[in-house]
Amino acid sequence: MQIVNTSGVSRLTKFFTTPQKPPQVLVEKIFSLISPRSQALCNFLDAPELDPLLNHPSRSGEKLRIIYRNYATLYFVFVVDSSESELGVLDLIQVFVEALDRAFQNVCELDLVFNFDDAHHILSEVVQGGIVLETSVDEIQAAVQQASQARQKSFSSANPLALGSGNKGSRGGGIQTPFGWFAGRFSGSGTR
Amino acid sequence: MATNMRGLTQFIADIRGARVRELEEKRINKEMANIRKKFKDGNLDGYQKKKYVAKIIFTYILGYKVDVGHMEAVNLISSPKYSEKQIGYLAVTLLMHENSDLLRLVVNSIRKDLDENNEISNCLALHAIANVGSNEMAEALAEDVHRLLISPTSQNFVRKKAALTLLRMYRKHPDVIPAAEWALRIVAIMDDPDLGVVVSVTSLIMALAQDHPEAYAVCYQKAVDRLHRLVVDHEYSAQYAYYRVPTPWLQVKLFRLLQYYPPTEDPTLRSVICNVIQTVMNNSAETSRNVQHNNAQNAVLFEAIALAIHLDTNSNLVTNATVLLARFISSKETNVRYLGLDTMAHLAGRTDSLDPIKKHQGTIILSLRDKDISVRRRALDLLFSMCDVDNSEVIVGELLRYLKIADYALREEMVLKIAILTEKYASSYKWYVDTILELIAAAGDHVGEEVWYRVIQIVTNTEDLQAYAARVTLEYLKTPTAHESLVKVGGYILGEYGHLVANEPGSSPIEQFQILHTKSQFCLAATRALLLSTYIKWVNVFPEIKHHLLNVFDRYRHVLDVDLQQRACEYYALASRPEEDELLQNVCEEIPPFPPRESTLINRLNKKLGDTENKRTWIHGGKEVNLERELTQRLNKKALPAEPVLAATAGAADTSNEIMDSLAGLDLTSPSNDRPVATDQSSIFAQLSKPINPAAPRLTTGPNIDRWFEKLTYSADGVLYEDVQIQIGIKSRYQGHLGQLAIYMGNKVSVPLTSFTAMVHVSDPDALSASFAKLPPSTIAPRTQTQFLLQVECKKFFSTPPSISISFLAGAQQSVTLQLPVLITKFFEHVSLGAADFFERWKLIGGPPRESQLIFLIALAEEGGLDLQKYRQVIGGHRLNLLDGIDPNPNNLIGAGILHTSVDGKVGCLLRFEPNQEAKLCRITVRSTSEDVAMEVQKLISKTLTRPPP
Repeated sequence: MQIVNTSGVSRLTKFFTTPQKPPQVLVEKIFSLISPRSQALCNFLDAPELDPLLNHPSRSGEKLRIIYRNYATLYFVFVVDSSESELGVLDLIQVFVEALDRAFQNVCELDLVFNFDDAHHILSEVVQGGIVLETSVDEIQAAVQQASQARQKSFSSANPLALGSGNKGSRGGGIQTPFGWFAGRFSGSGTR
Repeated sequence: MATNMRGLTQFIADIRGARVRELEEKRINKEMANIRKKFKDGNLDGYQKKKYVAKIIFTYILGYKVDVGHMEAVNLISSPKYSEKQIGYLAVTLLMHENSDLLRLVVNSIRKDLDENNEISNCLALHAIANVGSNEMAEALAEDVHRLLISPTSQNFVRKKAALTLLRMYRKHPDVIPAAEWALRIVAIMDDPDLGVVVSVTSLIMALAQDHPEAYAVCYQKAVDRLHRLVVDHEYSAQYAYYRVPTPWLQVKLFRLLQYYPPTEDPTLRSVICNVIQTVMNNSAETSRNVQHNNAQNAVLFEAIALAIHLDTNSNLVTNATVLLARFISSKETNVRYLGLDTMAHLAGRTDSLDPIKKHQGTIILSLRDKDISVRRRALDLLFSMCDVDNSEVIVGELLRYLKIADYALREEMVLKIAILTEKYASSYKWYVDTILELIAAAGDHVGEEVWYRVIQIVTNTEDLQAYAARVTLEYLKTPTAHESLVKVGGYILGEYGHLVANEPGSSPIEQFQILHTKSQFCLAATRALLLSTYIKWVNVFPEIKHHLLNVFDRYRHVLDVDLQQRACEYYALASRPEEDELLQNVCEEIPPFPPRESTLINRLNKKLGDTENKRTWIHGGKEVNLERELTQRLNKKALPAEPVLAATAGAADTSNEIMDSLAGLDLTSPSNDRPVATDQSSIFAQLSKPINPAAPRLTTGPNIDRWFEKLTYSADGVLYEDVQIQIGIKSRYQGHLGQLAIYMGNKVSVPLTSFTAMVHVSDPDALSASFAKLPPSTIAPRTQTQFLLQVECKKFFSTPPSISISFLAGAQQSVTLQLPVLITKFFEHVSLGAADFFERWKLIGGPPRESQLIFLIALAEEGGLDLQKYRQVIGGHRLNLLDGIDPNPNNLIGAGILHTSVDGKVGCLLRFEPNQEAKLCRITVRSTSEDVAMEVQKLISKTLTRPPP
């Protein structure tokens, strides 16, 4: 499972099996496979190329498939074997995005950067160990909120004097990161 | 929380601010150095540790290698503060993989968190196991996780995670989970009211049921029931409706689960399933504008169609599905086209008749030119599956044409598939050779060794083909760009059969030699070696070009390649022997036909398709391929512990034997490649393909239970079972070979019995069938009684009564298994006979073996006399007509009845029952046209009437 932006920078990567190669290699490979595909093409792609990278036994006949979805500047990519339903995974991506959206109130790429731990936490409420855990957005939201309350409680008990403890959604907690600056960074990073 | 740590936020902002990669690296290196130093100094409080570990995680996410912080993460896990614990767990799951040694250190912390009375900590721990759980963790923690899953006090969100964590453990280390033992308890959770829990537990069951189909058989019924409730009854909570489709994930999983089992024989279940599938198909008729809605709906639909295909390819459902699929493959939506083709390939792989699919052949061939490679791949698979003798020329021709413009990624697979199809469905040898040579010429580099081995096997074993093959090969070799594979084929075929065409214009020995030899300089050593062998064969048959050939050998005696050099020397010596020497002739004897053997091509394709944890229920290829694969899988499963040899022969060839195998050839008597063992296999398959009958659980025992059962053997109504919680009563009615049992299930306690499951086990389904008229309800309200009907049909003689297993949750899991009072005598009908008739038939049947007789101690009435009334009641209760006035002794009883069976017809049965007051003994004699029936009736009656030992 990974989220990668349109310029190939990884925003969130999660492996449920131990990959053979360093994650970055894999991310680049997947990105090179999906980025040339236009919007009109389907969201599925057979990916025999990934077998060796993911330590996937190719004899098994369980062909790996990439299932991805593009939201604004982000690609959400799942690599699954044939035991999953393709459309089901697409639905799941939608659920995940909706859950992110609820948690961050109008999610954008920046949220995933600054609140990487939250993003991972939300993902862990949707998919656990590579298997779908929960598909109801409400349930996911409830679980996320519960966890964040617990966190705030433990935080404020530890730091009674801290201001703005756990003020979620403030996007960077005091450090302003205007969007223009953010976009600028990407034009700069294009040379990489 | 990232936003709570100013240092971290600053760090992230700094990195984002770095305009070039070098600056970013510099910043990170600086930070890492700082962190290393801090960690080394030690003495950090929890907050600092958390902050630094969070920075390390962020660095890791950016794709840098990190080598510090593992120990600190381990420490954080045992922190009492949630925020620290959470970062610790995040670090452990991200930075460590399952084989990491450090994971040993966290096992104890995880156990503590699992045992803690705090759900959020439970969840963190479960989640960590689910992501990085190792064998050791599985061993140490499986029990704890299972406890969390089944404990009635666990919150739903804990149970969900526990189910998936258990799944992970099972995948890693199946031995630690006593899957069969936990089966009932786990399956019971499928009835949970919380759909989230059901989704997770279904995933778990899917994995367990594949390995333990018998133990988990009851999940079939549960899955059907749940689907019915979701799809037909619309029974689900609003939050699980995903764009108006009730929890598509669960539906997909349940449909998939049902495909793991052989199609059910139970007519009730079957009709429920059909109803569900039909509803799903009807729902899909209305498409909406909403993409998400369509997606979800189609996800369910495709899985439902797959199940319909699995159940019965000839059903109406599948016919309807084919129409739907035809619409899908020409849809504008790429995803739908893709899945339509995929599912149609599934259908083609299973169905008896390809005709409905062939109607769309044109569309499918067009899909080969789809702009999306994913769709093209599926179209290729489908064409491969739908090919048969009739359309093979068209399809193979189309594939060949497409091959020339196909993506490189696709070519090798295509070549393999074309080669297989050509061989399998060749209508003439000529067509076969033409096609394969065209294939080799067109695809060149993508032709695996197997393909050309195979051509040679076939040509060698088919005499009619040899001259033609030599001629055509020669033609191909004349083109300037002949591929190396073609040179190999040419070298071999011309060496063997070149002399057959030597008299034709343009094919004289010298021309053959020149054509072949001009190619040799562009070839690899292995090919040249093959050509040398060709030349030595020619020395034998074409003496006129011997000096050219000797020349070649002579030159090759000096090449650097050892193999070539040796060959050249040996061949040179051989060719230089005197004319009358017979050695050369003997060496160059024509190759004998290859022994029949399985095609290596198919082996090669199958090798990619061994079975794994999550099996696919079908593969591409014709129907036989799928059947055979199922057989192999089952054989493998059965044979693995005891006879690995059998598994090996049934499975794919060992790699090291590959080449030997490929040279070993195959049966060429018929082009359609019938395996000689086919008959054997199909009979084994027929045996194996019987539905899996779950082994009946052990019967619950108790003195009362026996008494109740005994009573019911000769009466139609009564109590079958009773304890403090439940009471089970039976009312039965029989007519001919059919019977109906009404089972009354009473809940005596003040809480509902949930996850109620009833399953009937029949030891020999060919003799007796038993099925519920409709699925029993899953909940029984407090202090109420519910009734369900069981239909039974006697097909042949049977002696073991069916049993019913009932399980439910009332606090804990309870289950009882009871014999049902369905005995052979229940299917008797009365018959009236006069004395003359009776004795005539009695004599006609004669003595043993069609007579069964026993003298036994007879049960007496309380005052010690004969209890005639009881005897009459029992014998009558076994549905024999008591005939009075036939025996002069009024104490003796005479009975007659006819057994009705639907398959074996009717069987008459006569009885004499002679109790003796003085001896307190009784002689029972039963005569019947069937020995089994006589014996059984005698046993049943004497058993009930035997005096219990004092």
